[in-house]
Amino acid sequence: MTDKKPDPRRPDETFEPFEATRRIPWPVYSIAIALAIWGVIMLVQTSTAVQVADKAQTEAAKQEPTKLAQAAAPDLDAGKTLFADNCATCHGDAGEGVTGAFPPLHGSDIVKLGGAKAVTQIVMRGIGGKLNVNGESYEGEMPAFGSVLSDTEISEVASYVATGLNDDAKTISAPEVADIRKVAGDMDPLDGGAGLAGLINNLPAQPESAAAEKGPGSERVAQLVSQGSGTVWACASCHGDKGEGTETVPRLAGLPAPYLAKQLHDFQKGTRPNDSMAYVAKGLSDQEIVELANYYATMTSPSGAKPSLEGDLKRGAQLAKEGDWSIGVPACFTCHGPSGVGVAPNFPGIAAQQPAYVAHQLAMWAGGARHNSPLGLMAGIGKALNDADRRAVADYLASLAPMPAMDKTELAAMESNIPVREGVDQ
Amino acid sequence: MNRYLPLAITALAILALATLFLVIAPGMQISAQGPTSGLKPYTEAEARGREVYVSLGCLYCHSQQPRSLAQAPDAERGWGRASVAGDYAYDAPHQLGTMRTGPDLMDIGDRMPSQAWQLTHLYQPRAISSWSIMPAYPYLFTHKDKAGPDDVVVKLPAKYAPKSGVIVAKQDALDLVKYLQGMTRQYAPPKDGLRDNGYALIAEKQREATDATKASN
Repeated sequence: MTDKKPDPRRPDETFEPFEATRRIPWPVYSIAIALAIWGVIMLVQTSTAVQVADKAQTEAAKQEPTKLAQAAAPDLDAGKTLFADNCATCHGDAGEGVTGAFPPLHGSDIVKLGGAKAVTQIVMRGIGGKLNVNGESYEGEMPAFGSVLSDTEISEVASYVATGLNDDAKTISAPEVADIRKVAGDMDPLDGGAGLAGLINNLPAQPESAAAEKGPGSERVAQLVSQGSGTVWACASCHGDKGEGTETVPRLAGLPAPYLAKQLHDFQKGTRPNDSMAYVAKGLSDQEIVELANYYATMTSPSGAKPSLEGDLKRGAQLAKEGDWSIGVPACFTCHGPSGVGVAPNFPGIAAQQPAYVAHQLAMWAGGARHNSPLGLMAGIGKALNDADRRAVADYLASLAPMPAMDKTELAAMESNIPVREGVDQ
Repeated sequence: MNRYLPLAITALAILALATLFLVIAPGMQISAQGPTSGLKPYTEAEARGREVYVSLGCLYCHSQQPRSLAQAPDAERGWGRASVAGDYAYDAPHQLGTMRTGPDLMDIGDRMPSQAWQLTHLYQPRAISSWSIMPAYPYLFTHKDKAGPDDVVVKLPAKYAPKSGVIVAKQDALDLVKYLQGMTRQYAPPKDGLRDNGYALIAEKQREATDATKASN
C-alpha cells in the first residue's frame, strides 16, 4: 500500500475552479437598463427644476427695477387699495371718519394745510396725543405704519389721501418719502396737535401737549428695565430698548398693563411656564410688577416684526379678520380688537407681534404647555389651527402696524383694577 | 475571479466618480457662493469666543443648522430661517454639529440677546432651568471679594450665589457670550443659496395643475 490511491471525492489535479462562461440572464440586463433610464430621467427632472427656479428668480429680480421706475409717479389706484386695506377700518371707506373717535381725512383742514408731506409724516410716525380736526377734538391714537409700509406704499397712500380724498394737486414720490424716513423714520409718534404744529404752518388752535408725567418710582423702573437688579437681568437686554422683542422674545410696547401684570404673576406662580421669565418674575415685588406693566403699556415703538415663517398671508388675513368656522376658529380681531390692537384689560394687542413668538405660543396653547387664558379660550383655538395656519396668522399679524400706546388717563383709571393677588380675573 | 485589472479599474472609477460628485463638484459650487451678503466677519472678540466654543466642545450637543419648514418646525421654535451654504463662509472648521441634545444655536443671538442671561446660564444652567442637563462652566468665572470697576458681575439667585463676594466673568466667558450674541442670521438668504427650491416650485406647479383640473370638473 505504498501507492496512494487518489481520493475519488477530491477533484483531479488539473481541475481549475473556473465557472463556465454563461450568458448573463435577461432580468439582470433589464434591471440595469431600467436603472440607467431612471437615472437619466432624474437628471433631466432636476435640471428642469433648477431651470424653473432660475427663471422665477430672474423674473422676480426683473420686477424690482420696474417697480422703482414707477416710483416717480405714485400709483393712485394702488393708494386707494392700500387705503381700503389699512386706513378704512377706522377712517371709513371714503375717509369720512367717525365723529368723536376717528378724525375725517376727506375735507380735513389738517390734510389740506399739510398736504401729502404731512400725511406721510403722520402715516410714518403715528400720533399719540389729543388733536383738533375741523374744530372737533380727537384722542389721537394712531399706530405708526413706517415699519409696515414701504416708501413706495406710503407715497401711494399719502398721495391718495391728499389728491384723491381732497383736492390737493401735489403728490409725493417714493424718493421724497425715503428722505423723510431718514429724518423721522425712527422717531416717536407725533405728540398730537402740538406735534403737528411743528410740522404744519398756520394750523388752527390745537390742544396743549400733555408731556409724559414722571410718576413716583419711575427712575427705579427705568433702572430695572435697562440695568436689572442684583439678581435679575435687565428687561431691555432681551425685549429690546424699545420693547420691540425679537424671534421668540415678544414685543411688550403698548400691551395692556393688566395683561402684562397678570402674565408676570403667572410666571411667578408657575401657571405660565417659562424658566427664564419665572426667574425674572420671582425677583420682582408686586409693586415693581405694577410699575413695569405701566411702563411698557405706555410705551410706543415702531414694529420690529416682519413675516418670516413663509406663512400664507391671505390665509392669515382670513383667520385674523373672519376666522374659519369650518374648524371652529373665530376671527382674532373679535377679541383682540380691530387690526389686532388689543382690548384692555384682558386681550393683548397682537398686531406687530414677533411671528416666531405668536406661532410658538399658539403651539404651546395647543399642546397645553401654556394654559393661562381666561376660560381656556386660546387652548381651543390653538388646537384647531394646524401648523401652516399658525404660521400664516403669525406672519399676517407681523405685517400689521403696531398698537398705539395706552393713554395715560385711561391707564390711571384702570390702575386700580390691575390684579395683584392671584386669580382676580381668571 | 482573477481578472484583477478590470476589477481594480472599475473600483477606482466608482471611487473617482463618487469623489467627483459628492466632494469636488459640491465643493466648487459652495466656494463659488462666497459669504452671504449681510453676513459680517467675526470681530476679534467673537473670533476668540469661537475658539472657546470649539474648546468647550459645544458642538457635541448643539447644532448650528436650522432646518427648512418642510423638514422641521425650527422657525416656529425661533431658531431662525433655514441656513444656506454662504452662512458658514467665515467658519473653518464649521461648527454645524449633528447632535441636538440642546437647542440649535444658529440664532441664539436673536432668541437670547441678553449678556446677563448668558453669563448666568453658563455659570449655572440650573439656576434658570432646574431640569437642564447642560454642564456648568464655573471655571470661566472667578470669585472675588469685591467687583472692580471693569468687572462684569454675574447675576445669581441666592441659592447659587456665593456666601460673600461676587462672581465675575473671565475674559473667556465674555468672549464666548459675544460669539453667541453675534449668532444672528436675520438677513434674507440669497435667492440662489443652494437650497433645492426647484422641487418646491415644481410641486407648486403640480398643485396648481391639480387645483385647475379639480375646478374644471
